[in-house]
Amino acid sequence: MKVARRQFKVEVPSVAMGDIAFNLLVFFVILARAQDDSHLQWEPAVAADVEAVKNTKVSIVVDNNNKLYLNGRELDQARLAGAVEKELGDAPAGQRTVILKIHNDSQALRFEPILEAVSEAGGEIVHILEENKDS
Amino acid sequence: MKLRRSANKMLIEPPSVATGDIAFNLLVFFLVCASTQPDAGRKQEIPRSDPQQQQTEQSQNIEVSITRTTAAINGQVKPAGDFLRDLRLLLAAKTKPEDKVVVVKSTKDVPYTQWILYTGWIGEAGGIVTLQMEEEQTTLVN
Repeated sequence: MKVARRQFKVEVPSVAMGDIAFNLLVFFVILARAQDDSHLQWEPAVAADVEAVKNTKVSIVVDNNNKLYLNGRELDQARLAGAVEKELGDAPAGQRTVILKIHNDSQALRFEPILEAVSEAGGEIVHILEENKDS
Repeated sequence: MKLRRSANKMLIEPPSVATGDIAFNLLVFFLVCASTQPDAGRKQEIPRSDPQQQQTEQSQNIEVSITRTTAAINGQVKPAGDFLRDLRLLLAAKTKPEDKVVVVKSTKDVPYTQWILYTGWIGEAGGIVTLQMEEEQTTLVN
């Protein structure tokens, strides 16, 4: 008598598929945020009238050590205008927003040349500030 | 024959295998949520500087000088409480858009907070901020 060999059904476990998809999604969302400067330490100045900022291409940070960063990478002041121009490319008006995250204690000697460089590169300046809710 | 029901068989525990996954996913989700908070700020138009034009038009434009502790309009130091009102009055008299340009001069030690406050008031009064920076000059001394 012949005994038929028992066939085992092998399937890819589908229980974890949701988890995998979610993690991939989160991974690519984080990667897409190319201008990540969340690791930099700075405190915003306070202002009464602020509005939400959208469609930002370039982010400039002056941190609490007075160092300058463009899209999270440290940069020399002299190369800023050229680098901003390169980042903005041929973007039309309205899509040339450059956000400035300047530490509230920075002095004019530091931040005014930055404003000039952004203006020279044709960037549309937006100062990132903290809303003063008392006024 | 009596069958004894086992007490253990009635205990149904939730599967603990996925707890780590769930915790990790929740952690990542809230981290991403926290890091993607939209920024809030203020737009500022700073016209591109044209040195020749600047020299010819400078005399007609209002000049605001900011120091670490004070601010002056056309050379007259104004208390912070009067600054906005006085600047509004001056700008109201200007009809041409090019005359609404306010030349801002800051000393090197002006903190960003102070600068943001006064340039914010200039914008509120209807002025357009333009910067005048001290130019670095090299002088040879024999």
